[in-house]
Amino acid sequence: MATPPHPRLLLLPLLLLAAASSSVSADDLVAELQSLRARSPSGVIHLTDTSVTRFLSAPASRRPYSVLVFFDAASLHSKPDLHLPQLRTEFALLSASFLDHNPGSGDLFFADIEFAESQHSFHQFGVNSLPHVRLVRPEHASLGGSEQMDQSHFSRLADSMAEFIESRTGLEVGPIVRPPLLSRNQIILIGILFLISIPFMIKRIVDGETLLHDRRVWMAGALFVYFFSVSGGMYGIIRHTPMFLTDRSDPNKLVFFYQGSGMQLGAEGFAVGFLYTLVGLMIAGVTHLLVRVESLQTQRLAMLAVMAIGWWAVRKVIYLDNWKTGYSIHTFWPSSWR
Amino acid sequence: MAEPEASSAAANGGGRLRNAFGGVLSAFTLLLIGVLAFSIRLFSVIKYESVIHEFDPYFNFRVTQFLSKNGIYEFWNWFDDRTWYPLGRVIGGTVYPGLTLTAGTIWWLLNSLNIPLSVETVCVFTAPIFSAYASWATYLLTKEAKGTGAGLMAAAILAMVPSYISRSVAGSYDNEAVAIFALIFTFYLYVKTLNTGSLFYATLNALSYFYMVCSWGGYTFIINLIPMHVLLCIVTGRYSSRLYIAYAPLVILGTLLAALVPVVGFNAVMTSEHFASFLVFIILHVVALVYYIKGLLTPRLFKVAMTLVISVGLAVCFAVVAVLVALVASSPTKGWSGRSLSLLDPTYASKYIPIIASVSEHQPPTWPSYFMDINVLAFLIPAGIISCFLPLSDASSFMVLYLVTAVYFSGVMVRLMLVLAPAACILSGIALSEVFGVLTRSLKFQLSKLFDDSSSAVPASGDSSSESSTNSTKSENRNEKSETAPKEKPSKKNRKKEKEMAESVPVKPNKKEKRLLVLPFELSVMGILLLIVLGGFYVVHCVWAAAEAYSAPSIVLTSRSRDGLHVFDDFREAYAWLSHNTDVDDKVASWWDYGYQTTAMANRTVIVDNNTWNNTHIATVGTAMSSPEKAAWEIFNSLDVKYVLVVFGGLVGYPSDDINKFLWMVRIGGGVFPHIKEPDYLRDGQYRVDAQATPTMLNCLMYKLCYYRFVETDGKGFDRVRGYEIGKKHFKLTHFEEVFTTHHWMVRIYKLKPQKNRVRGKLKKLKSGAKSSSTLAAGRKNPWQ
Repeated sequence: MATPPHPRLLLLPLLLLAAASSSVSADDLVAELQSLRARSPSGVIHLTDTSVTRFLSAPASRRPYSVLVFFDAASLHSKPDLHLPQLRTEFALLSASFLDHNPGSGDLFFADIEFAESQHSFHQFGVNSLPHVRLVRPEHASLGGSEQMDQSHFSRLADSMAEFIESRTGLEVGPIVRPPLLSRNQIILIGILFLISIPFMIKRIVDGETLLHDRRVWMAGALFVYFFSVSGGMYGIIRHTPMFLTDRSDPNKLVFFYQGSGMQLGAEGFAVGFLYTLVGLMIAGVTHLLVRVESLQTQRLAMLAVMAIGWWAVRKVIYLDNWKTGYSIHTFWPSSWR
Repeated sequence: MAEPEASSAAANGGGRLRNAFGGVLSAFTLLLIGVLAFSIRLFSVIKYESVIHEFDPYFNFRVTQFLSKNGIYEFWNWFDDRTWYPLGRVIGGTVYPGLTLTAGTIWWLLNSLNIPLSVETVCVFTAPIFSAYASWATYLLTKEAKGTGAGLMAAAILAMVPSYISRSVAGSYDNEAVAIFALIFTFYLYVKTLNTGSLFYATLNALSYFYMVCSWGGYTFIINLIPMHVLLCIVTGRYSSRLYIAYAPLVILGTLLAALVPVVGFNAVMTSEHFASFLVFIILHVVALVYYIKGLLTPRLFKVAMTLVISVGLAVCFAVVAVLVALVASSPTKGWSGRSLSLLDPTYASKYIPIIASVSEHQPPTWPSYFMDINVLAFLIPAGIISCFLPLSDASSFMVLYLVTAVYFSGVMVRLMLVLAPAACILSGIALSEVFGVLTRSLKFQLSKLFDDSSSAVPASGDSSSESSTNSTKSENRNEKSETAPKEKPSKKNRKKEKEMAESVPVKPNKKEKRLLVLPFELSVMGILLLIVLGGFYVVHCVWAAAEAYSAPSIVLTSRSRDGLHVFDDFREAYAWLSHNTDVDDKVASWWDYGYQTTAMANRTVIVDNNTWNNTHIATVGTAMSSPEKAAWEIFNSLDVKYVLVVFGGLVGYPSDDINKFLWMVRIGGGVFPHIKEPDYLRDGQYRVDAQATPTMLNCLMYKLCYYRFVETDGKGFDRVRGYEIGKKHFKLTHFEEVFTTHHWMVRIYKLKPQKNRVRGKLKKLKSGAKSSSTLAAGRKNPWQ
């Protein structure tokens, strides 16, 4: 609660100073940027066309700082494949971590520009696709000549962006501080609730009337874990692979299956995992359910269906596996048989 | 219980004969399964030669040689100065001795029987022998859960499951070779104790656990899985005195025995991997007390006592938990080793420990890996899970728990597919045996119905002696025997509960509606045929995998081209050169992958090896490889290195060479010495060594040692692995000289040039003074000092 008045107090004399001196010096710009930064919660300065001219178009001699600019467009936030909102929050996280590590630094500032209100700046930078992040260093004479952060640096979000900054400016970003999922108070509350509930849980367990005693819950859980693991779900979590890709040659087409055994997409894994599980469930159905059905006709139809679907599923998986890995599994017959 | 006894008395003579026949048949089948398990793993010997494979087995082989030569006491106190120079390594205290002692014992036994086999032969064939044992152990384990039929099926499946073959072909002399057998056998003894409540088996269980601890670090899986199962049994209200007998002795005896193994020692009581077992041990005692008191008191008194016990027990529990938490929190990694942590938090390793993340077998698998390694079992397992729940017994719930944990862990690390394999085989065996049971039963009843319509109700209970002698009927016989066999041993009162449950499902409907549990005849025939096709595909796949995919020793390579078979024996050529042409005390530096082989085959001292216990040391070598020639020379010189060995595949197209591993050297080196920065070696985030490679990359030692004189081979410097021409083709080495390059250029050995003679003319005194100061400055950069 103590922080908000503080920067404002600072701001006032600074602004007065800036107004008093007619010629804007480099120190003034830095001070102004610092005050702007202090006003934003994460330290990301919001730039508009006018402030871009003021802070970035100035000649290099009056610009001793670097600015990392994030190009944002509110109209494109709804497009899921651009991940703009996510990248924007990561950008804010990066900025906050940098501020934590280098408080009061005047070497690097973080800024964002919105497309709808600053089209001119977008044009000046020559930005025509998003997501786009640019680093304007003191030695860059024009805005168009500034350095663009390439796609690979978005891949691991704030961590890889930090690497980009460290390699280009030589400034230390410091550890990325992510806000914990639950605040401390929530954790304590949950802990207390859990402690209180222990006796009740024990009582119910002793009485034997919980969900835990329901066999079907365990069965469903086991089957789900199986399904999730064989479909390579953990691979998706560890490697952050997307569900599908867009085709490079034809952007309207989606790629669900990736050729090459070293990598898989989310959707293909779940599709194959589903086939694995489906066949098993059908076999179990025949063994344990179908034998109890009285009608011979139903049994016949169901068995035919199971065999047809099972045959198809197994063949599909074999085909997909051969296609993906490029293996050709063959038999070994005696050479005299050929 | 009167009815089955009466019927069994009536059919006593016939039943006994059939049981004897079934026993002989299943023993014979098991023998064949053992032969199958052994022989399917011999492809590597037939296709290549009887040779130890890969990397780690060479170390085990060397230790076994030492053991057989010097005896067990020397082995126990062995300090190895041939590795991790200048640190050395205490082998006796840092190695899991199970495998070595096993092979050493086999060798000693054979020699005392006057069968003069070499140590190497014994080592090569240890893994196939133990996979036969493992399939027999699988039979025992599955039999405990679901009867003989399922047991035989599971054993046959396990004998050829590719995932297990990959670690146990002849020559792959690694810990896993015996550990999987120990794992399954420990589980069998646990389940056996659980079913019988016999202290004898409980003691055996602890001993078997001891063997597992001796053999493999994976024993932590056992000591966490069994407590989980005990907890599961308690929580779902399945506590019994058998559970107590199965668990309590295991914890006490097992922990004491585990602490005897030097490499485990006090870790057995002090690391978090073992805490779960102690916590469950306490809980088990509380629950046992509750059940005991419940037996003593009337229900009302019990309620009062219950509240009392719970409040006191909770207080004790909190105290214990607090102590545990304090213990755990006091260690930086929370008491967990890096490998275990990366299992619990899958993203851990990739974030913090590059050396664990760098190993290819620690990567998460994709779905084709499952199809490669357990093949059609992936389709059968869900059916096995469901069969285990119908009916649920202590044993079958253990199977399900085993599968679920193993399948999760295998999802995190492809290496743990090996632990999944037995569970997958057991559950698939259960599924297959059940579905075969249903289908063949339908065939049998309806066949006999076709022959005489009037007596269709008679064969319902399963003691009809069918005269058809097809394969399917045989398996049917076995299946029925598994149901009838426990009936004749009613003395085992402990098994009563499960037996009743096991009987309740198949018997009850049989009595009420006799022909209900069958399927249509013609479709059953089709179903059996389809299942046989599925099994046939599995066999074809396994044989193919064993022959083509998993039998390469990776020390001898072959490639088949149009003009015939090419053999690349460059590794042994290089190691032989080292052992013949260098001094015994010379130090050889290479990336850690080749450390074990160099010590075992060339008998020379290495700087780092595959036992990656000292990250800084490895990072030093990584830094040297990624530094320019001069800085690298200084690092190596400070380590007394005389020779540097690099593996290069660019000429023949061998993809797992040092250039492809190089990025990990940079990463690991940079993790300790920050002046090595990964982006310096990447052009726009891409790793390349062609004309667009960064100058840092083209000047680093690894590049120079690999591509020195490479352009002389074809005039263009075309790298066959990377598929392009290299960036810098003509250069000279200043601090290293090439001493040996193997036939196919796969291994190149360089010698460090001796230090330049620095005596100069007195006139140049000033200059030389400046020079020496500059070398001093460079020397300070040397991370080793």
